[in-house]
Amino acid sequence: MNNNSVLTFIIKKVIRFTSLLFALCALSFVLISNSPIDPVKAYIGADMMNVGPEQRAKIEQYWGLDKPAHEQFLSWASAVARGDLGDSKIYRRPVIEIISERFAASLLLMGTAWTISGILGFILGIVSAVKKGSWIDKVIKWYCFVLASTPTFWLGLLLLIVFVVWLGILPIGLAVPAGVLKTDVTLADKLMHFILPALTLSILGVANMAMHTRTKLIEVLNSDYVLFAKARGESDWEIVKNHGIRNIALPAITLQFAYFGELFGGSILAEKIFSYPGLGSAITEAGLRADVPLLLGIVLFSAIFVFSGNLIADILYKVVDPRMRGISAS
Amino acid sequence: MRKFQAGLLAVVFLLTSILLGGCKQNSSDINESSTQRPKDELLLAIGSEPEGGFDPINGWGRYGSPLFQSTLLKRDQNMDIVMDLAKAYEVSEDSLSWTVIIREDVKFSDGSNLTSDDVVFTYDTLLNSASSIDMTFMESVEKIDDYTIKFNLKTPRSTFISNLVATGIVPKNLYSGEYYQNPIGSGPFILKQWDKGQQIIVESNPLYYGQKPQFNKITFLFLEEDAAFAAAKAGQIDMTSIPPSYASQKIEGMKIVEVDSVDNRGIMFPVVKSNEVDSDSSPVGNDVTADKAIREALNIAVDRQEIVDGVLEGYGTAAHSICEGLPWWNEETVIEDGNIDMAKKVLADSGWIDLDSDGYLEKDSVKAEFNLVYPSGDQLRQSLAMVVSDMVKPIGIKINIEAKTWDEIEGVLHKDAILMGWGSHDPLEMYNVYSSNMKGIEWYNPGYYENKKVDEYMDKALQAKTEEEANEYWKKAQWDGETGLSGKGDVPWVWLVNRSHIYLMKDNLDIGSPQIQPHGHGWPLTSNIEQWKWID
Amino acid sequence: MSDYAINTANKKKQKQKFTINRRQYTFGVIGLSILILLSVLIASYALPDSNIATNLNAKNLEPSFDNIFGTDWLGRDMFTRTIKGLRLSVAVGALAATISVIIATILGMIASINDKCDLAVSWFIDLFLGMPHIVFLILISFALGGGVKGVVVGVAVTHWPTLTRIVRAEILQIKTSDYVKISRHMGKTSWYVATKHILPHIVPQLLIGYLLLFPHAILHEAAITFLGFGLSPHKPAIGIILSESMMYLSTGMWWLAFFPGLALIIVVKLFDVIGENLKMLYDPSSAHE
Repeated sequence: MNNNSVLTFIIKKVIRFTSLLFALCALSFVLISNSPIDPVKAYIGADMMNVGPEQRAKIEQYWGLDKPAHEQFLSWASAVARGDLGDSKIYRRPVIEIISERFAASLLLMGTAWTISGILGFILGIVSAVKKGSWIDKVIKWYCFVLASTPTFWLGLLLLIVFVVWLGILPIGLAVPAGVLKTDVTLADKLMHFILPALTLSILGVANMAMHTRTKLIEVLNSDYVLFAKARGESDWEIVKNHGIRNIALPAITLQFAYFGELFGGSILAEKIFSYPGLGSAITEAGLRADVPLLLGIVLFSAIFVFSGNLIADILYKVVDPRMRGISAS
Repeated sequence: MRKFQAGLLAVVFLLTSILLGGCKQNSSDINESSTQRPKDELLLAIGSEPEGGFDPINGWGRYGSPLFQSTLLKRDQNMDIVMDLAKAYEVSEDSLSWTVIIREDVKFSDGSNLTSDDVVFTYDTLLNSASSIDMTFMESVEKIDDYTIKFNLKTPRSTFISNLVATGIVPKNLYSGEYYQNPIGSGPFILKQWDKGQQIIVESNPLYYGQKPQFNKITFLFLEEDAAFAAAKAGQIDMTSIPPSYASQKIEGMKIVEVDSVDNRGIMFPVVKSNEVDSDSSPVGNDVTADKAIREALNIAVDRQEIVDGVLEGYGTAAHSICEGLPWWNEETVIEDGNIDMAKKVLADSGWIDLDSDGYLEKDSVKAEFNLVYPSGDQLRQSLAMVVSDMVKPIGIKINIEAKTWDEIEGVLHKDAILMGWGSHDPLEMYNVYSSNMKGIEWYNPGYYENKKVDEYMDKALQAKTEEEANEYWKKAQWDGETGLSGKGDVPWVWLVNRSHIYLMKDNLDIGSPQIQPHGHGWPLTSNIEQWKWID
Repeated sequence: MSDYAINTANKKKQKQKFTINRRQYTFGVIGLSILILLSVLIASYALPDSNIATNLNAKNLEPSFDNIFGTDWLGRDMFTRTIKGLRLSVAVGALAATISVIIATILGMIASINDKCDLAVSWFIDLFLGMPHIVFLILISFALGGGVKGVVVGVAVTHWPTLTRIVRAEILQIKTSDYVKISRHMGKTSWYVATKHILPHIVPQLLIGYLLLFPHAILHEAAITFLGFGLSPHKPAIGIILSESMMYLSTGMWWLAFFPGLALIIVVKLFDVIGENLKMLYDPSSAHE
């Protein structure tokens, strides 16, 4: 492998990343400014009367409302670059604070879903490919087929009813148990509260991963060197272990990283159903209640999140497998 | 491979049964722990999170009890005025000065004494903050001595007493921009923990001067209606407010308590024609609803009891006014409704005819059609809008329903009919909603209603020396025999229902006798929280 | 011949009578799916609007002959609501998908003009792919003020990237093929090449892509309405019905949440099936995936 070319590749990708991010900021800003909602009013909200003239001036300065459009964008963008995302209208606190708080919760949720869907999907995909045509394969295929078109929110609702109301084994929502002081909340408590949202999120990912893995593994299993291995007397599982996994691990991991986007979108729905206070429910609130700073802040953040995922996927693909040069994975 | 498959199946079976078995145990653990919560702790899901925090200057505690702070006066369950922080109060002969003497034994939860400095500070800050329009009638507030305060008004104001009831006192020395999340006060509870977006935990204030509450720790959860109900079903919380559609569910160990309210819903109409009024904000006026016959016909045609039974499942009462059942309510405003024929006659008499036989009336080439807007996300208002719209089809009026967010509604509330609601313990609300001085201001009188006689009566009410005298004028404003702001008079609003507040709570929880509840369930219920207890 | 031989020959003939080949099976599946979808469409017009007017006397009824899915809290027939809602969702999905396909075609063609354009378009694709769909939908819906307009534009604008990729690849492939090269050498104009060579080849792809876009579009519309953006709650739309499902499930009327959801899944799946089967017809090698 030529280290130089890998480095150039990475640098090129990072540049692309930044340019995309910038474009996204611009796009979002344009969209928001063109919305029928007056940004100052949206920013201040019902407190129109509460806010004194100095406060109002400060807000106008932040948004640069008295200047032409491109200057507005620049003033906002430079504020953002400095890390100042403004204050959320709904929560009365800096947007950065809210995002970091909420992201921690969401991270736990998405991370678990990501891991479970990755591992479980991978395993199911392998089993399905190896047992191609058998009833296990049919079951798994059918399961994925159905799941891929089940709306996340419907699934979440079903889980809520089954596990919370009928069986009563899991708590209804939120992230921490009700009425317990912060210091008394245990990790186990936190876990109990996010099992259902995590499960809801994972289920869809599993379907994707399983199908993808299955396809790739079948390809591998149909190749010549596998035929040779069979002729040598290797058993099915040995073949998978020695030849299969190596070849499908990379596409699988790449798929997982590219999955960040879907994950984030799914968490928005899951969090609504389970009243889970993560980033997803924050952006829903922000959108519904016209909290412009928070909305923009989270949009940016999710963009960074997803772009990073794609970036990592691309780099992995290129760096780890030199044969893949020239084909982008995202 | 057969053996392998069998083995796999066995493992899956084993795992599932362990999971379910283990979980079953956990389930009984959870249920036990929920009923085993200490007797002096309570877990409620009744109110929504106050956006501006717990600062009375920001509006916290105006409806109901501020929990963390005390007010000068209070209303008991019959709506009579009783003392709280104040020991006594006196109104001067010319009604321009109110003198209040407060108790001397009150401490804030941090141990410092509550004196008239704090009262003066609270009202001064309220006066100077741009938020409250209603304080502009107050000239000043001054300290007479450590425990006596004098309020100087510009004009007599009978409703000032409601301010004394609704304003929580904040500590002068501890007030800052952070107060909203650290509300030190002299009320029965202290704010222990606030998990934004989720819950607050409050603990009993050991320094409270009044009746000690039975509960040392109360948690208020901020849950969506459905999640709260699911939690109640699962036995995890002690009390929650529920919508009527859930009331038919029987839940073991819990009972339904219905609390009367003046929490009303009705349709607000623009009463001026379009382009009659100049406005630089949003368009004003609606040619169809400006015609009194239309509003009158609607008022007569809707069957309020049917709505109460059908939409509220019986948990409510018909509303013909903004203040049904309150001391300033004029009973004469109640009319006979559900009368389709009379409604048709009113319209025909006014010149509305169905010229093109499409089922809807026309007059002067204007079709009897208008928009009715409800806030999206509010299922009750949605239901009301839909039911009313269907109810008036037979008389030939076409109502187009639209859902909008509150922000969007601001842009159309002067030109479309809006499904709104009010309901307050302060008759000043009637003034705000119907006075021509309030035309087009914020959410007050968006319909640009104006009636000089009504204005006259309401001014007299404000200037009255006593509540009784004031109430007489409030009633006249509604209907004095010839004109008024009610359904018998100008019909600027078609009031529909008062929704009772329904609470689902543990069988053995006793919340005393609540007052008639104002607009917005939840927090107002806590006004007598010191009296709540378990029935053994 | 021996009895044995005659028997097996007869058995073979009998078996042959009832076998249909894969191709016929595929056509059958497509035909059946289209039939089901058409009947849903017809039903949505045939069912009277009065079924979904408020009828406070018929509240919360369990499923019966009169009301196959039961009635909701305002007495509206849930089956009618579902069918009409499906039509609305499909219409929104169709509109959005159409716009998406048009965008994809145009951009795909632009990308194939030269390398610079290709880079630009790819960059665009990455930009839009980078956003989680729901987030973008929320943003666009907010910016356009919600309602049908917001949803249609939002869904259209988020779904074109994948299709564009496919179109771009296809066009590139065609352009570099021998017969097109010959055509150019023979002096045919770019317009000729575009209309006579490229277009006919990508139309099937577009059609299939369009049909495969449907499920996503419909589901996203339902999701965004479920969250509270998009369509008004009193209109019959599947997303609305599903957003009411929390209430239905809490009050034990699970059928009001289950059946509409199921109906949505079936309709979505049918589009998927049609799309996938058409793809198999067009490109038989994909049948082996």
